[in-house]
Amino acid sequence: MRNAYLRYAGIRLVQAVVVVLLAYLFTFVVVSILPGDPVTNVLRDPQNGFTEEQIKTIIAAQGLDQPISVQLWTSLSGFLVGDFGVSMRSTRPVTTLIAEVLPSTLILASAGLAVALLLAAAIAYGTQFLPKRLGQGIVRAFPSLFLSVPGFVIGLVLIHAFGFQLGLFRVIEPDSAWATVFAAVALGIPISAQIAEVLIANLDHESGQEYAAVARSRGLGRVRLFAKHLLKPSSLPVVTVIALTVGELLGGSLITETVFGRTGIGSLVQRSAAAQDLPVLQAVVSLAAVVFVLVNLIADLFYPLLDPRLKLVGGTERRPTSANESAAPAPGSVTG
Amino acid sequence: MSVVSLSSAVQAAPDRRSALRPRWSPLQMSPTVALALAIVTLVIAWSLAPHLFTSQDPVNGVPAHKLLGPSTAHWFGTDHLGRDVYARVVYGAASSVTSALIAVVIGVAVGGLMGLLAGFLGGWVDTVLARLVDILLAIPRFLLAVIVVTALGFDTVNTAIATGVSAVAVFARVMRAEVIKTRQATFVEASFLQGGSRWYVLWRHVLPNASRSVLTLAVLQFGLSILVIASLAFLGYGDPPPASDWGLLIATGKDYLRWPWLVYAPAFVTIATVLSLNRISRWLRETD
Amino acid sequence: MIDRSDARSPSRRRLLRSAAALVAAVALAPAIRAANGSPHGSPRDGGDLVFLIDTLGPTWIPNNSAISSFQGHVWGHVTDKLAYVDAEGKISPWIATRWEQTADATEFTLHLKDGVSFSDGTPLDAAAVVANLDIWYAGRIKDGINPIGLFPKTYDRAEAVDPTTVKVFFKAPTLGFIPTLGYHGSILISPKTLALPAIQQADLAKTAGSGPYRVAAWKEGDFVKLVKRKDYNWGPEAVGHTGPAYLDTITYKVVSEPSLRVAAVQSGQADVAYNASPQELKSLKDAGFTIATPRYLGFVNGWAINTKLAPYDDVKVRQALQAAINRQEIIDTVYTPDWKLAASFLQGNVPGATDQSAYLAYDPGRAEKLLDEAGWTRGRGGIRSKAGKPLTLTLYPNPYLATAKAVDELIAQQLGKLGWKVDIRAYDVVTFGQKVAFGGPAVPAYEVTRSFIDAGSVASILTDANNGENWFALGESDATLNALRDRIAGASSAESRAPILDELQKYVLAQGYFIPRTQIVQRIYVQSPNLKGETYNGLAYASYYTAAKDK
Repeated sequence: MRNAYLRYAGIRLVQAVVVVLLAYLFTFVVVSILPGDPVTNVLRDPQNGFTEEQIKTIIAAQGLDQPISVQLWTSLSGFLVGDFGVSMRSTRPVTTLIAEVLPSTLILASAGLAVALLLAAAIAYGTQFLPKRLGQGIVRAFPSLFLSVPGFVIGLVLIHAFGFQLGLFRVIEPDSAWATVFAAVALGIPISAQIAEVLIANLDHESGQEYAAVARSRGLGRVRLFAKHLLKPSSLPVVTVIALTVGELLGGSLITETVFGRTGIGSLVQRSAAAQDLPVLQAVVSLAAVVFVLVNLIADLFYPLLDPRLKLVGGTERRPTSANESAAPAPGSVTG
Repeated sequence: MSVVSLSSAVQAAPDRRSALRPRWSPLQMSPTVALALAIVTLVIAWSLAPHLFTSQDPVNGVPAHKLLGPSTAHWFGTDHLGRDVYARVVYGAASSVTSALIAVVIGVAVGGLMGLLAGFLGGWVDTVLARLVDILLAIPRFLLAVIVVTALGFDTVNTAIATGVSAVAVFARVMRAEVIKTRQATFVEASFLQGGSRWYVLWRHVLPNASRSVLTLAVLQFGLSILVIASLAFLGYGDPPPASDWGLLIATGKDYLRWPWLVYAPAFVTIATVLSLNRISRWLRETD
Repeated sequence: MIDRSDARSPSRRRLLRSAAALVAAVALAPAIRAANGSPHGSPRDGGDLVFLIDTLGPTWIPNNSAISSFQGHVWGHVTDKLAYVDAEGKISPWIATRWEQTADATEFTLHLKDGVSFSDGTPLDAAAVVANLDIWYAGRIKDGINPIGLFPKTYDRAEAVDPTTVKVFFKAPTLGFIPTLGYHGSILISPKTLALPAIQQADLAKTAGSGPYRVAAWKEGDFVKLVKRKDYNWGPEAVGHTGPAYLDTITYKVVSEPSLRVAAVQSGQADVAYNASPQELKSLKDAGFTIATPRYLGFVNGWAINTKLAPYDDVKVRQALQAAINRQEIIDTVYTPDWKLAASFLQGNVPGATDQSAYLAYDPGRAEKLLDEAGWTRGRGGIRSKAGKPLTLTLYPNPYLATAKAVDELIAQQLGKLGWKVDIRAYDVVTFGQKVAFGGPAVPAYEVTRSFIDAGSVASILTDANNGENWFALGESDATLNALRDRIAGASSAESRAPILDELQKYVLAQGYFIPRTQIVQRIYVQSPNLKGETYNGLAYASYYTAAKDK
């Protein structure tokens, strides 16, 4: 058993590393499809008045005319020893750029996740206990509604209502407490919908079980019933969903940070993508892949320990919950 | 690297819920489903024959009538060049529907094929494709779409392609799971035992059964694609006017927030459409 | 702020009204305080300015970023120049108090102001100027530091004669040298900064200039905060003030949404919003905000026509195009009366620009007649065609000008009425740079947005001689144009050049080589009413060196 577990863990670890490396390569290949780079783009701006010869000299001097394979090797050999290189757009080390903006995104993402969880719990509570005439059906529709609104529209509406008309925060200080709260709300709303869908489905399942009926008949209070008997067993799949929303939080921060004017990973990506700043994009994609892989790796490594019934299969078979994988494709990711 | 979908966590919940509530049959559908179908029908009609729904010109406006508020003459008001916003929304339906369709077709075709091969052939094919799907899953979908559109160049068709690529993994995974499930079903085993060829079994039994979930997902993905394309347009990756894709209408409108109908009108239509598609997708799932 | 749609929603109207009251209160408060007066210190001293800007551009390496429309604002406060160019193109002394040149314009002597220092303590002396001239000309290409593109390529070397005298030598006559010194690329940076490797120059905090402000803090993509230098006393005399600046700090803060920038200034959260949408300007002005739409010295916004590409190889079609554009309607619809009609292909404030409005009158009748004469007749759907080919025009809105698309859409409507089939293909900056070029095979009209310091630079764009840009794809085929080009390049003074420039403007417009749209305003400022006294230079950058806030 012990050996089997170590073998399983080892295989998972190797797979994780391979995925991160492949994600790095994938970004390189995709971004290299289009000719051009930030340096050349600036040189070609007619305002700059460079002659064709000057442009050629500069490009050659910076090694931008080398074959793709050479550029890939240079970049990959740096990446393997933890050197992300220098941003082509700002000429500053990529590590510095990311370190500068990471805290802001971490704060936004955690706050966004907190908002999403609170909202999801509130919606789930409403679907279980709100009387029909008080709009239980409407509450059930909330997740769908949240998933149908473009994220930037939510952000713009919040800024205008609370920033300008009610004056709760100043647009020029996006890192202030209130501004962060509303940015988190904008980020959290679509994500809350995904968590709420899963929660509601599981609650529906649990409240149909015998023990819930027994608990009810013994006069257990609604809130306690919800928190202790219904929410708890429903939360294992929710943890799975949360692990998967890590990527959503990062994707959503792209829009939210742009709308609210925060400087984080999202706005860094936005600036770098517009300028085809390959080193920064590669670093961010790898970072996102590392986070995603780590979160899932932790989950994978813990499941067999928690549930000894689970078969250990090294290959592509998976977690307990996937038995019914195909049953219902819930709304996938929206970062709109 | 494990691959688990949001859907996996949902478990078999819908079935349980339908056990608690009366089951809707297609003939006595709920009013919300009827409304959703009506809205989607209207949008499809707009995209097929826009001229039947408005007499105004979506491209050439009356400059002197710029930025008028909603009225009986201009239901959604006019924009910065005096063009009727309602007409632009109606004429933009075709482009929005086409973009979302491109995204869904790419997702279904590429992802579906990957899932089908992986699930049906198994072995090393499954292993290789699973790794590919893992990469696509490990990159946040919206980030992936941004990177792909950066590589292709900024334009509406490219945003649609990027959105489709970012959906490939989801389709691949669902299709694979469905194929594996169907393959193990008794009737498929029986068909094999009766000497049916691999491809015959695939075509006759596996594909039809697996496609049900994929269809549900495709309807849902259609709505999501509209949103993702709108968001890409918002970030400036979309196509320019005079194309009046809804996402672009909202994205252009945000520069004129003093005239809020330029944002609210197309945003409302977008939200109504996506919401309807979500409802239809859920309905398809429940009446499964 | 009250509009028709509000009638439908009372709560929204109430919100708006209270917001309007709030804005009014914020706007009035300083006025009341000012009335009470403060007996201490100079009444103008102190205050903080917040300037909201679209972006703060890519790298901060001085040479690579000096002419950026965004970073240029920061450089304008952190650095000085040798000469000053005002909004009318007049050149006056700044760090160079006077200069002499030899008759053949190959040797210049600059005399520098004494006692000027960079913010890192290094003196701004002749040696520092030589270091700057050298890096402007050559950059350090291997290290990623570009040359300044428009610096005269005829530069040979510079010598420090004594601490306040510099001699500059050129390989060929270079009349444009002195104007170049006032150009936004020619910012003076401490030699210590220039010696740093590119990766460190990219850290703005490490850069020292001699300007009235120095960098206090900055964050990539977020903000740059400047504080004033109390020991500064070498401002350009042309702005009427040479001592330290009045405002204590200036913060350039990135807010990428134009509507949010404006709303923040309206609600008193910031002082200046850059690049507002022209549509919003009228109501802002009515609400008491200061609107500035300074024009830079340069070409107007318009098209350089590719004369190689049919049907624009036909002078009649080009002339029809010239007459088919209703320029007044562009200003009325897309812009505001703050924009000026184009009267030539040069901006009206350029010394030497003359009024050629007669060539630019809107005359649809004449346009139709010219097209008929050229053989383009109306067919089905009103589109003109000739030998089975429709009359088309493909437009590529210039991505560097936010309103370019709206103008193209409007022109498409105008030309459509006369039988043109207009396609608009908008590209992002990257794709535009790759696909759209002067005289490109699919580019009948290249949309020009270009500033310059001296009208003499037109000589280098007309043809392909001497690495010229050949805007109209004429090569050497138009003898009249070649002669005008040579006479302008060889002119010995601005006075003798003026009549030749006038002749050139008439010829280029009459031939329909250049189709002006409007005079260009690439920098729009919306400013809170209690900020006063800012100046705009010849490149339309705002300087708050002379500005102060009412208290």
